[in-house]
Amino acid sequence: MSTLLKLKKINLQYKTGKENISVLKNIDLNIQKKETVSVVGESGSGKTSLIMLIGGLEIPTSGKIFFQDQEITNLKEDEISEIRKKNIGIIFQSFYLIPNYTAVENVALTLELNNFKNPEKEAKHLLDRFGLKNRFNNLPSQLSGGEQQRVAIARAIAMKPELILADEPTGNLDTENSIMIVNILFKYVKEEGSSLIMVTHDPKLADKAKRKIKIKDGKIK
Amino acid sequence: MEKLNNSSEFGLIFKYALKDLSRNYHKISSIVITLFISLFILSAIFTIEDSLKKELNDNAKALLGGDLEIDYNRNQGNLDLVNKVKEFTIVSQMIEFSTMLSTTGREKNKSLFTRIKTVDEKYPLYGNVVYEPEGAYERMQKESNTILINESLSKTLNIKINEQVKVQDQNFIVIGIIKSVPDVSGFVAFGDWALAGKQTLEILKLNEIGSFLNYEYKVKFNEGDNPEEIEQRIENIFKDDQKVKLRYPENSASGIKRVINNFSQFLSLVSISAMLIAGIGIANTLLSFINQNNMSIAVRKAVGFFSGNIKRLYYLQLFILLFIITVVAYGSSFLIVPIADKYLSDGLGLNVYPLFSFLNFFKIFLVGLLVLVIFSIPTISSIDQVKASNLFRNVFQNLQFYYSKRSVVISFFLLSILILLFTIGSEQPSYSLGYFAAFFVCLIVFFLLSKLIIFFLKKFKSSPIISLKVSIKNITQTKSITPITVMSLGLGVTLLLTLALVGTNFQREIAKSIPDIAPDYFFVGIQKGEKNKFEQGILNMDPNANIEIVPMVSSGIVQINGVDPNTYIKPDNDSYWVIGSERRSSWVENPPEDNPILEGEWWDLSKPDQLQISLDAKVAKDFNIQLGDIFTLNVYGREIKGEVINFREVDYRDLSINFAMLFNPQFAKNIPHEYLATTKFNLNKFDEIEMLEIMPSLSMIKIADYLTKVTAVLNKVFIAVTLISAVTIVIGLIVISSAIMVQGKVKEYQNLVFKILGFSKKQIVFSSLIEFIIIFKSVILISIFFAVIGSKFIIENIFELVWMFDFKVLIYLGFSIGFVTLILIMLTNLKYLNPKVYPLIRNQ
Repeated sequence: MSTLLKLKKINLQYKTGKENISVLKNIDLNIQKKETVSVVGESGSGKTSLIMLIGGLEIPTSGKIFFQDQEITNLKEDEISEIRKKNIGIIFQSFYLIPNYTAVENVALTLELNNFKNPEKEAKHLLDRFGLKNRFNNLPSQLSGGEQQRVAIARAIAMKPELILADEPTGNLDTENSIMIVNILFKYVKEEGSSLIMVTHDPKLADKAKRKIKIKDGKIK
Repeated sequence: MEKLNNSSEFGLIFKYALKDLSRNYHKISSIVITLFISLFILSAIFTIEDSLKKELNDNAKALLGGDLEIDYNRNQGNLDLVNKVKEFTIVSQMIEFSTMLSTTGREKNKSLFTRIKTVDEKYPLYGNVVYEPEGAYERMQKESNTILINESLSKTLNIKINEQVKVQDQNFIVIGIIKSVPDVSGFVAFGDWALAGKQTLEILKLNEIGSFLNYEYKVKFNEGDNPEEIEQRIENIFKDDQKVKLRYPENSASGIKRVINNFSQFLSLVSISAMLIAGIGIANTLLSFINQNNMSIAVRKAVGFFSGNIKRLYYLQLFILLFIITVVAYGSSFLIVPIADKYLSDGLGLNVYPLFSFLNFFKIFLVGLLVLVIFSIPTISSIDQVKASNLFRNVFQNLQFYYSKRSVVISFFLLSILILLFTIGSEQPSYSLGYFAAFFVCLIVFFLLSKLIIFFLKKFKSSPIISLKVSIKNITQTKSITPITVMSLGLGVTLLLTLALVGTNFQREIAKSIPDIAPDYFFVGIQKGEKNKFEQGILNMDPNANIEIVPMVSSGIVQINGVDPNTYIKPDNDSYWVIGSERRSSWVENPPEDNPILEGEWWDLSKPDQLQISLDAKVAKDFNIQLGDIFTLNVYGREIKGEVINFREVDYRDLSINFAMLFNPQFAKNIPHEYLATTKFNLNKFDEIEMLEIMPSLSMIKIADYLTKVTAVLNKVFIAVTLISAVTIVIGLIVISSAIMVQGKVKEYQNLVFKILGFSKKQIVFSSLIEFIIIFKSVILISIFFAVIGSKFIIENIFELVWMFDFKVLIYLGFSIGFVTLILIMLTNLKYLNPKVYPLIRNQ
């Protein structure tokens, strides 16, 4: 397997008033193509920050990130957006669906952004695949948590990205829905050959990934 | 709203209200600014208006010049009757007239058409004449051929004290400069005038018509006398004298009062606009504020706060804020009183002083409270939509204005009180009422427009441009805030455009050059036997001069169709002047070219022995005169009946010879008359002084000088209008930006998701831009329509100027306002365009 993602000596600091908080310290990490990785650790250990850095949503204080051998830490915001748009799908614990868009519209948005010919048709196909056939035209507020997360997953994978970043995707869900979401996610990754980095607190879920990384006090243990 | 349960509950709400206010005041800064500006305008208007009215009422006797005025107009009247009044009162006689005043002994002498008031030693009965140097006024009373001139005349002709001037064929020494006289109501407020002793009349040759002579007797009652009884006695003395007009202090300064009333009306409309538009801004900002706080509202509900108490918490914060702002705004309004005082004392000779009035303070607070409550009801009611369950579902809920049946009824009730407050207090209640109606019509039209935009855009679904698609989706989405944006933007832009159009029309009036057909000079006081002498004098100086000379006779309308003309019109009507005093009329063979006949026929030559009248169509309309109506005219003491046979369109603004009434020459030529002439010169050789040597009693009015004075007045009004408009425009801009703020939270969230999905900043900005263009393009067309109507109404009805449609100006204004609004919207949007991911992901 070739390397999809490389993090070299990554540091991330936040400034709170006069105080500097080191969130991530000297992180070195390689992720291979088609690899599934779970990231575990206590609250505040820096898991979500790591995901945000990989997704290009934050800029590290120091260090370099390479995605498909291209350094993304020195790119402009729009250039990172372009990479994210085509290659990275992100799933959040809080779903982050657009409240005034229907389920189909939320999924179709990514496809439209990438100039798909029939975005709505493709979005419906994806939602159907995730058991949401009867929820096409519902707004997020009319969906259950599990349904919202399935829409969010559909949106994240719509472009068949090389890398899926999932930040506690089952954190807001009950056991039944959690199992369903995890199965969908891992099944998709297996079928499509994407890489997955998943932050989770759930040891069972973490064990589903091929590799498990533990973060403590901003460092990989 | 639910009732408070007990005092401890109120204490709790009060405590949290103060806490929230102290921590969130910066988030509602635009509410503070809008409320302050609108209440400041209102306070300033109330304070100045009150002070001005008090000044007019307190000085009503001084402004009239006595407890009563006996006005005989052009002749000295029945002296026997006046002498009877003198037996039990003090009577001061004064005669005003207009004539030429010229400099003498200079290489190039100058002359000016001047109003001269001759007064006796009893003048003034009330108030003081302010002049310099000391003793000059007393000298003027005792020494003949002495005169006091006002500051304007002194500046215009550059006359110094002790300089010799010429009035007709008499030389006068200017022995002083007058700063002010108490009875400004009898004077032209902005003109050139002089005071002279009563002996002056005897040495000048004044004719009745051309000198605009006016005989007045000012009466002061003896101390201890009952004014009502004395007034009754005087009325009885003059009851059979039809030529006299008795005036009382309450009728004093009617001209000034009218100017003030008109301006007050404009200010009143501006303050209503400011308040109502501020209300929309407040509603928007408050909705945005509540949206930002909907998580904390949900948490409060989750821990057991009643929805009603949370609403009360917000109302209480607004109430505290309003009270503080009202105090500051009302207090600050006193700071502009000195500016207004300078402006008014220079222009009208009136002084205003800052006066605290609890009633005014209460009225301002009440207006503020009503506006605040009316516009915050739908916003604060939206708190009911926030559900504690949202906390469990991770759903971001963008709140909407919410109307329950009860809140609609309360809003209507409060709105009615607000309308009543403004309507009852205004000079023209119908204008205020009409304004409110127009405002709500605008609001409804913009609401319908938003629905129309949504309807059409929903049909336009497929677009290859993602930014366009997102824009359309934003506009058309369920629970879209497009109606709020369109209404706020629409009213804001309409306000900006209306005030800009009022301003440009003012500017045009100020910058307007003399009309092409306007003559260079008006000449009055040409006696019957001097017609040829006048023409020859002009032609000797300029053989190609274009002279128009018409006969002129003075007459008063005694009756219309056998009844008192006062029953046909109210004194505050624009056309009341026609019966207010004697009017000059003329006669011509053929219809004047610039006075087309709108109704009826020209003279009926078969009836040469009957007086036929051609009447100004506007006057006819205002008096409700029909063709065939009979006017009884008093012409030199003789009553003559005449039939109105046609209506003419008279445009007094072309500055050519225009008369409200024209007579048929076959009948009128035998009436004793003099002539009025206008002249347009081809050569620049006309010399006023030389002309005065030929005809010393001739009066000349140079049109350019007249227009300069009109321009000076307009300029002052324009400055005031611009200042007030500029302040109101700030409110308009805040409202526009508040419309964006309403969707701030949802925009920020949406843009965050877009950013995560890979939208570029350019695409996000572009979609905002398209959204603005779609909405603004629709709004501007309707706004232009309303602004054109609004500005036309203000210019024509309130300022009584000519409104003109200027397409270029409109396009220019449309683009300018579009550009300013776009910049404003983009600046407001800027903070939402590139949201920081970390705080949002972390639910901060």
